[in-house]
Amino acid sequence: MNLYESAVKKPVMTSLIFIGVMIIGVFAFNKLPIDLLPKIETNTIMIITTYQGASASDVETNVTRPLESTLNTVSNLKNIISTSRENRSIITLEFDYGQDINVITNDVRDKLEMVKSYLPDGVQSPIIFKFSTDMIPVIMMSATADKSLPGLYKILDDKVANQIARIDGVGSVSINGAPEREIQVYIDPVKLEAYHLTIESIAQYIRMENVNTPAGSMDVGNQTYSVRVEGQFKESSELNKIVVGNANGKTIFLSDVATVKDDHQERLQESFTNGVQGASIVVQKQSGSNTVKIANEIVKQLPEIQKNLPTDVKLNVLFDTSENIKHTINGLTETVLYAFFFVMLVVLFFLGRWRATLIIIITIPVSLIASFIYLGATGGTLNIISLSSLSLAIGMVVDDAIVVLENITTHIERGSRPKSAAIHGTNEVALSVVASTLTIIAVFFPFTMVGGMAGVMFAQLGWIVTIIITVSMICALSLTPMLASQMLRLDPKHSKAFKTIYTPIERSLDKLDNNYGRLVNWAARHRKKVVGFAVLFFVLSILPGKFIGTDFIPPQDNGRVAATIELPIGTKSEITKEVAVRLEAEWKKKYPEITMINYNVGQASSSNVWGSLQTNGSHIITMNMAMVDLSERKRSMFEICDSIRSNLDAMPEIQKSTILAGGGMSMMGGQSTLDVEVYGFDFNQTDKVANELAKKLKSVDGLQNINVSRGDYTPEYQVEFDREKLAQNGLNIATASNYLSNRINGLTASLFREDGEEYRINVVYGPEYRQSIEAVENILIYNSMGQSVRLKELGKVVERFTPPTIERKNRQRVVTVSSTVSGTTIDKAVAGIKDQLASIETPSDVYTKIAGTYIEQQDSFKDLGILLLLIILLVFIVMASQFESLTYPFIIMFSVPFAISGVVIALLITGSTLNMMSFVGIIMLIGIVVKNGIVLVDYINLNRERGMGIIHAVVEGGKSRLRPVIMTTATTILGMMPLALSTSSGSEMWKPMAITVIGGLTVSTILTLVIIPTVYSIFAGSGVKRSRRKMRHAFHAKQLDQHNK
Amino acid sequence: MKSLFIVFDQGYYEQILAILNFNHVRGFTRWEEVQGRGSVAGEPHYGNHAWPSLNSSIMTVISDEKVKPLLDELRTLDATSELMGLRAFVWNIEDSI
Repeated sequence: MNLYESAVKKPVMTSLIFIGVMIIGVFAFNKLPIDLLPKIETNTIMIITTYQGASASDVETNVTRPLESTLNTVSNLKNIISTSRENRSIITLEFDYGQDINVITNDVRDKLEMVKSYLPDGVQSPIIFKFSTDMIPVIMMSATADKSLPGLYKILDDKVANQIARIDGVGSVSINGAPEREIQVYIDPVKLEAYHLTIESIAQYIRMENVNTPAGSMDVGNQTYSVRVEGQFKESSELNKIVVGNANGKTIFLSDVATVKDDHQERLQESFTNGVQGASIVVQKQSGSNTVKIANEIVKQLPEIQKNLPTDVKLNVLFDTSENIKHTINGLTETVLYAFFFVMLVVLFFLGRWRATLIIIITIPVSLIASFIYLGATGGTLNIISLSSLSLAIGMVVDDAIVVLENITTHIERGSRPKSAAIHGTNEVALSVVASTLTIIAVFFPFTMVGGMAGVMFAQLGWIVTIIITVSMICALSLTPMLASQMLRLDPKHSKAFKTIYTPIERSLDKLDNNYGRLVNWAARHRKKVVGFAVLFFVLSILPGKFIGTDFIPPQDNGRVAATIELPIGTKSEITKEVAVRLEAEWKKKYPEITMINYNVGQASSSNVWGSLQTNGSHIITMNMAMVDLSERKRSMFEICDSIRSNLDAMPEIQKSTILAGGGMSMMGGQSTLDVEVYGFDFNQTDKVANELAKKLKSVDGLQNINVSRGDYTPEYQVEFDREKLAQNGLNIATASNYLSNRINGLTASLFREDGEEYRINVVYGPEYRQSIEAVENILIYNSMGQSVRLKELGKVVERFTPPTIERKNRQRVVTVSSTVSGTTIDKAVAGIKDQLASIETPSDVYTKIAGTYIEQQDSFKDLGILLLLIILLVFIVMASQFESLTYPFIIMFSVPFAISGVVIALLITGSTLNMMSFVGIIMLIGIVVKNGIVLVDYINLNRERGMGIIHAVVEGGKSRLRPVIMTTATTILGMMPLALSTSSGSEMWKPMAITVIGGLTVSTILTLVIIPTVYSIFAGSGVKRSRRKMRHAFHAKQLDQHNK
Repeated sequence: MKSLFIVFDQGYYEQILAILNFNHVRGFTRWEEVQGRGSVAGEPHYGNHAWPSLNSSIMTVISDEKVKPLLDELRTLDATSELMGLRAFVWNIEDSI
C-alpha cells in the first residue's frame, strides 16, 4: 500500500499524525527566540601584545613582524592586519566566514606558544581577544542628575549597574561620563620648596597616617581585650590636619602646603543627553544570549530600579536595539499573514469552491509549522531570513496540493467515488508532483552549501524552504487526498449568491482559455515571427541593464546615527565641549526628526570597558542620535546624514568627522564602505599618495566620510635628560622620570575608605603649576643625599611629534583611505575611484588596492554566481530525468532568459540595485519559472502520446494547463507582494528579493506561455521531419535494392 | 453454472463489490491491475503517462439465476458514467471441483 492509499484508507491516523506535527511545531514556535539575523559566528581574532617602552617602529620589527610570519600559517586565514604603536602591537586575523572559531583560536594559541620564546625580553604574553557582534550594546541608557551629580557614579554603580548585571545573559555594564570620586591633594611647589618637602615625602606621611593597626590583645581581670589603633581617616577633611614636617620649631600641616579637594578624577569623559549632563550606561550581552530577551528584562526592571534612586536622578532609555528587531519582525510577521490571505483569495477565485480551497489552504500552516520544528531543533531564531523564507514559501507550498486536488476533481467529475478518485487521482500525478518539488529543492538545497558571507546568511533560507517544500509535498500526497476523499462531493449545491458572484468569473476564465488557445495556435503556425520577436524583446530588455547599479546589502534605515567628530589634536576638552553644544543646538533646530542626541567628550578612564573600545580623547566628540520611526518622517536617515556631513565640512575647526548612518550597530545593513589601501614601506611616499588620493576622492560623486587611516603626528613634550649631568648629581633616568611623573600625573598616596568603598588619594602639583614648559623645567629633583637640582639643569624639554602608528595588512605596511558610499551604487563609486587612481602618479614601490564592501560584494557575487550555475545544472538534471530526454529540459530552459528580462525591467522601474538580495531572488527564479514550463511541456507530451498532431497537442495542452499555471504563478506573486510593498523598518532587506522574483516571474510567465509551445512545435516538428526523412531513405533504399535485383 | 467476467475502471471496485455482496455472491477472483482498451469508445486504461487510468477485473462463478440481476445492476452502474467504463461477459462452466 502506498502513501496516498493508506492515507485515504486511514483518515484518523493521517489527520492525527498531522495534528501531532502541528502541536510539536506550535510548541517549538513558542520557545523560538527573536533576533535580527541568523547567528553569525565571529570571523576575527585580535592579538594584543604589550612591549613597554618601545616605539612604534621597534614594536613593528620586534613584535608584530615575528608574530605575523608565524600566524600567517594558520589555516583559513583571509587577512592579517596589524597596527604597531608605542608600547603595543595589535594584530587582527580575519578568517573566512562559517569556520569554527574555537578550533581556530586553539590553532592561534599553539602558534603563539611557539613564537613566544623568540620575542625580546620585556614583551608581555600576547593576549587573544575574540571580537564578535556581541560587543554591540543591547541597551544604552542615560542618567541625568542635578544635586546628586558628584555622587552619580557610585549611585549608578550600586543601584543600576549591579542590578542589571544580575540579569541572565548580561555581559558587562559600563558607566560613561559619571565622575569617579577622587581626593586631590594639590601641592604648591613654591611652599614645598620653602619647607624642603617633596611630593614623595608628603605621600609617605599620608600613607603613615591612614592606617588601622591591630596591637594584639591583653587580659584585664577576667576579660580579654584586643587593642587597636584606628588611624584611618573618617572624613577627607582630616587630611588637612596631617603634620608633614617642622620648620623653625613650628609644625607644618598639610593644609599649609596644599589644598585638599574631595573631588573627582581630573581627566574624565563627560556625557550629555539632550543638553543635560549625566552619565550614560551601556549594557552589553554575553556571547550567544538573546538581545530581545535581555532588553525586555531590563525594561521590565527599570521602574523598580528607578524607585530606589534619589529623586533627582532620572533614567532614560536612549536606545534599545531590541526595538528595531521587534519592529522588523512584527513587520515581517504581518507580511506572512497577508501572503496567506492573498494566496487563499487566489485559490478561491480559481476554484470557486470553499471546500476545495480549505483543503489546499490547510497545507500552508502544516508545512510552515513543520519548519518551526527545524528551527527549534537546531537552536535557530525567528529572524529576517527565516521569516522571509516563510513568506517566500507560502505561494509555493500550495502548488502540489493544487495539482493533486485538480486531478481528483476530474476523477470525481467522471463519476468515480471520492475515495477511489482520491487514490487513483493522486496516483496519476504523484510522479510529476515529486519531480516539480525536486526542481524547487534543487534550487534551494544548494543554498545550504555556499561558503562565505552568503553562506552564513542564506543557509537558513535553503534549509527552511527545502523542509517546507518537502513537507508540502508529503502533505499533497497524503493529507490532500485524504481530505478530498472525505470532503469533496460531486456537483455540490451552490447558493444563489454564489452563482451570481462566481458565474461571471467562470465565464471570463473560459474566455481567457479560448483566447489563449487561439494565440498559441497562431504562434505555432508563425514560429519564425514569434522567435524573432522573443529574441528582439530579450535583447531590448537586457540593454538598459547597464543602468542598474550593483550593491552589497541594502542599507537599512533604523533611525540611528553615530558620529565621531575630531577637532585638531590636542584641543582642550572645554573647547571640544563648546563645539558639541553648538552642534547639538544647531542640529536640533535643523533636523526636527532627531529625538535624542547623546554625546561624550573627553578621555575615558581605563576601567570603562565600552568607553575604552571607542575612540576617545580630549579633542574627540562621540555622538549618538536617534530619530523618530521611519513611517513618521519624510527624510530618510541617509539624506539627513548627507546634510550633516556637508554642514561639518563647512566648519573649519573640525578636522575629521565620520557620520555613520545606522549607528554602526549592526554588521549588516549599514552603509557600504569603500577603502583604497596604499601599500608601501616608506612613510613619506605612502602618506603623499594617500593624502593626494583623499583629496581627489572628494570629487567622486557619492563618496562621503573620506579619511586617511594613518593618524596625525601627535605633538608632545619630551624631556631629554643629559646622562652625564644626572650622574654628576647622583641620579639616573629612572629616578628622575619618576619624580617628573609624580608631579604631573600624581602619586596615589593611599586609599580613603568610606561605606565600604575605596577612593584614591592623589598627591599632585596644583593645576596652575603644570601648565607651561617652565613649570616642568622648574621641577625640583632630589638625590639620595637630599640635595635638590632643577630639571632644567639636568636636561631640556623639547616639543616633538611622535610618529604615527604603523599599520600593516598581509605583512606589508599600508595606509587606508576609507570612505562611505551614499547616494550612489558601489560599481559607480568603484569606477570613480579607479579613474582617480589612474590619475595619481605612484612611486614604483607603492601600490594601491580597492578594499572594503567592494571586496565582500565581489566575493559574495562570485559565490552566488557559482551557485547559479550549479543550480541551473541541477534543475536540468532533475528535468532531464523526469522527461527521460535532453530536448524537453532545453525547451523549458527558454523561460530563464525572460525571467532575467523581467528582473531588469522590475529593478529599473523600482529604481533598485542589483545587490546580494536581488541576486538570491534571481537564483530562486530559476526554480520557480521552470516549474511552469514543466507543467506545459508535460501536458503537451501527454497529448501527443494520446495521438494528437503537434499543433493540436500544443494548443490543447496549453489551453488545459493555462489555469493551473496562472494559478500557481498568481499564488507565488501575490504571496510575495506584501514583502515587496512593505515599508516597515527592515523592509529594505527583503524588498529587492521580492521585487526581483515578482518582476522575473511575471514577465517570464507571460512569455513562457507563448514561447514554450512555439519552441516545442519547432523541435517536435523537426523531429517528425527527421523520422519521416529516415523512413523515406529506407523506402528508397529498399526500392533501389529491388530494382538492382 | 455460469462464469461472469467483469472488467472495470479501478474506481468502480467498491461499488462492484457491494453489488456482489448484495446478490449473495461470495466467491470471486480479482486481478487488481489489468490494462485494456474498449472496442468502440472510451479512454484506454494503460496506466502509463498518456493514459494513466487502470482497470481491475473480477471473475466469479455463479448459479444461472443470479446472472440476470447482477448484469442489470452492473448495467445501471455503467450508465452512471460514460467515461469510466465497465464491461461484463458471461460464459458457461462445464465442470468444477
